[in-house]
This record gives sequence, structure tokens and C-alpha cells, in this order.
Amino acid sequence: MYLTEVKEWDIVKKQFRYKLKSYFGVFNSMMAIQLLAILFSFNGTGMSGGSSGTLDYEVHYFTNDIIQVFTMIWAFISAIIITTKAYRYDDYAFVTNRKVSHYSNFLFLFSASMFAGVTVYLSTHLFKVLTHMLVDQSSIMVDSMTITEFMTGTGASAMYIFLFATAGYFVGMLTQFNKIFSILLPVVFIGALILDGLTGNPTLLINAATFFGSETSFIFFLIKVLGVSFIFLLGSMGISNQMEVSK
Amino acid sequence: MNAVVCNELIKQYGSYKAINELSFTFTENKITGLIGRNGAGKTTLLKIIAGYLLPSSGEVRVFGERPFNNLNVSAHTIFIDNEMSFSNGLTLFELLETAGSFYPNWDRGLAHRLFSYFSFNPNQYHGNLSKGMRSTFNMIIGLSSRCPLTIFDEPTSGMDSPTRNDFYRALLKEYIAHPRTIILSSHLLEEVEDLLEDILLINSGEKYLHMGIEDLKQHAVGVRGEAETVTRWISGIQPIHVQEMGAGMTYAVIENERSKKELEEARILGLEIAPVSAEKLCSYLTKQSRGGIDDVFNRG
Repeated sequence: MYLTEVKEWDIVKKQFRYKLKSYFGVFNSMMAIQLLAILFSFNGTGMSGGSSGTLDYEVHYFTNDIIQVFTMIWAFISAIIITTKAYRYDDYAFVTNRKVSHYSNFLFLFSASMFAGVTVYLSTHLFKVLTHMLVDQSSIMVDSMTITEFMTGTGASAMYIFLFATAGYFVGMLTQFNKIFSILLPVVFIGALILDGLTGNPTLLINAATFFGSETSFIFFLIKVLGVSFIFLLGSMGISNQMEVSK
Repeated sequence: MNAVVCNELIKQYGSYKAINELSFTFTENKITGLIGRNGAGKTTLLKIIAGYLLPSSGEVRVFGERPFNNLNVSAHTIFIDNEMSFSNGLTLFELLETAGSFYPNWDRGLAHRLFSYFSFNPNQYHGNLSKGMRSTFNMIIGLSSRCPLTIFDEPTSGMDSPTRNDFYRALLKEYIAHPRTIILSSHLLEEVEDLLEDILLINSGEKYLHMGIEDLKQHAVGVRGEAETVTRWISGIQPIHVQEMGAGMTYAVIENERSKKELEEARILGLEIAPVSAEKLCSYLTKQSRGGIDDVFNRG
């Protein structure tokens, strides 16, 4: 009947392009959060010292862990934000359906995570420079990385961010599906941690962290992260399939 | 070819039926007015047609397809109302360009001409516009997208009267140059009746009338005269509307089924017969309760 049949992938690309522009605000908040994380990082993550005779020394350890963690939290929250009505209905001003809307959101979250992963790496440099300038000490030693280390390091950083983004997207969709989840999810999460801790030997978070963190092969790590993200995304699509657009 | 077909459509919220067993057909390339009082179910119906809401039961087809969550229908339908949500990350100009990339029939020239005619600032944001300007901008998107099914839900709310007239004129010119199916919902029938070809009158989610505007204008006649004479003359049929005029006079509206001879007799009896405007007729038909607003104040 139609003169022009619509190609789904075509519209996904258009929505994605539209979202890169319209969701640009999330990158502003990312910058603010990374600057804050750099500020917190000045505290250092560890310190040791000693003295012998006239010699006194202190060793401070600085890492970009805080920047990475803050960026992961940022990804989680930003993903929740884009599931809220105000953002979801922006799609419906133009051509879309649920599937297209999800696909373009996934693309957006993925590219935002990649971008965030690179900025974590770059902000580490800013942090190093600032430490040189501000921390009043004689010499600072810096680990240098090879190209492959840089690639896997930044890749892993981006993958962790993407994992948190998809988790946030799923949580956001659950909450949009039924407001009760906005109470239920924190209760279940914190309740599980408390129950887990009652035994005196908490394992829940540790297991979750080792599942990803102790993976030595980058490829397997990639498969694990993408697999779990994929489950989150599939879940989000399943939940929202019958959701209406009522303003 | 039918643009929109509804069959026994029901939309239920809890026990409340916003749309109640509505069946109708809109043929292609016509301007239909969806008329009804506040809360009659106009917006709900339009959102179902646009594919935003899922009907509780019954069937709705837009160009032969079910509209809910349907990409094809979304690409060929545009739903314009004053709650349209546009991203605040894009300027008005960028929004126009984005809309142009989505709609295959988009008329870029028209969009830009209308944009500068209504003196929009290209660098402004949609969220910062006044209510009337926002409606005007949405209307530009609606007209320029040239969608085979264009739905305007109360498009003129907030517009000042010159802008409203400009809009009606632009709509008509566009429609003549590029015919398409247009649904225009309004509660100001008088303003839009010159544009419309068909009217669908709904009240509390139910269909009251679906006919051509010319037929509607002929549909009823008003009879004015002494109460007793009027009552006798219309005896046996249920009047659409009866109103006391004071001083023993009554005004009644009945369906226009009387023969010429009968009308002639009425004149001899001293009754005044006059046509009833479409707007008045619709408001008589959808009267919420017997009597009118006057009864609220008549406590004696």
C-alpha cells in the first residue's frame, strides 16, 4: 500500500544520529564527574613510609580507579535517565517504534561507553600532570604502557562502563514498567547484601567482581561482559514491548 | 482505499471506558473533523490511531495495518498536539532538519518558508517557546512532513486569532496541493467547519454522528413559537433540544424530516423555522444532562 517502505535499520541510524545530538547533556555531566573524581584521587589510594637515620621517605600510590568507578556510576545513572518519559517520548516526535527506540538507545549507550572509556584514559593523564604540578614532592614514577596494554586497558575500562550502562538501562526500564520497582530493587539489593553479610563471610559482591575481574583472557572477559549486557538489553526489550506512549 | 478503519473499538482504564464500541471508516484524502466536548475521548481515539495506545478490544487499522508499535504506520502518520516533546538539545532549526531526515515526503522549502513567516529564531529551543509559538512550530512540522495520515489534536490551542486563521488557510492550501488524509480534532466547530468535509461527533467515547458537513448543516431545523403550538407541531417525535425562551415561547430543534407541506403549515401556525448551525447542533446533541447551565443557578 505504501509508496515508500520503511527500512528499520535506516530509521535506527537516524534515531541514533538524533540521539547523539539530543542526549549531549550526559557528556557534560560526565566531564563534571570526572573532574570531581580527579579531585578525590589526589588523596592517593595508599601510602607507605619509613626512615633510617637521616633519611625519611614516604611513598604515595595514585591510581585512576576512582575516575573509572565514578564513570561507571555515571553510566548507570545516565542510562536510567534516558529511560524516563521525558527522554523516551522525544523519539516519538519522529518516526519510531519500541524496537527502533531500543536499538538506537543501545547504540547510543555503546558509543557513549566507548567514548567514556577513552576519556577515563585521557583524564588519567590530566591527573598525572596535575599531580606533578600540585603534589609537592621530588619525584613521581609513572607506569608506562605498551600499545597492547593501552588497547586492552581502555577496552576493558569501556566494557565495564558499558556493563553498568546496560544494567542501568534495565533498572530504568523496570522502574518505568512499574513504579514499585523503584522501591523493590534497592530493598532487594541492600537486603541481599545484609543477608549475605549475616554469615560473617560475605560472598555476593566478591563473586560478582571475580566473575569479571579475575578473567585473565581479554577475549573471555569481552564475551562475559557483552553476554551479561546482552541479557540486560533483552530483558529491557521484553519488559517494554507492550508499554504505551501516554503523555 | 480506507485510511483509518475502526471496528468495535474499546479503550478501558479500570472500569472507565474512554472509548466505547466505536466503529467508523475514514476514506483516503479527506479532511475529517473529530468533534466532541471536553473529555469525550477525542485525544484517546487519536492516540490509538497514531499507534501510541493499545486498544483494550476491537480493531483499528491504519492503511490496512495495526498501528500500535508499527514502524510503517509511524513513518506515514504524524500526530501533532501541543504536548509534543522535542529534545532541548537541538535548536528549532536543527529540529526541522531532523524531522526532514525522518519523513520521506518532507517539504524542506515549505518548512523554512513557514518558519520565517512566523518569525521563529532558528537558534531558539523548543522548551523556551511560548504556548502559542510551540503550537505554531508543531503545526509547521505537521504540514511540512506531508504524511499520508496527518492528525492534528487541538492544533490551535494557545495560538492568537491571526495565527489560527493563517494555519487554517495554510492547511487548506497544502491539502489542495497535496491531498492527504487529515484528522482535525477541535471543540471549536464554527472555526473549522469551512475546512472540513466530514464530521465525526463523539461523546463519552461513543459515536453520535458521522456524516458530511453539508449534510450536518441540513440535518436539523429549529422551530420557535408559542410553547403550546410548538409542542403540538412536534408531537410524536423526540426533539433533539427544547429550550424555554420566556414569555410563553419555546425553541425546539428536531431532525429535518418534515415535508415542504408540513413546513408550510408551520409557518401558517406562526412558527418560525430556521436552520441550525453545525456547531449549535453538535452542542445540543452532546448535551451532558437535561437543561443547561441555567439550571445550576435556578435553586428556587
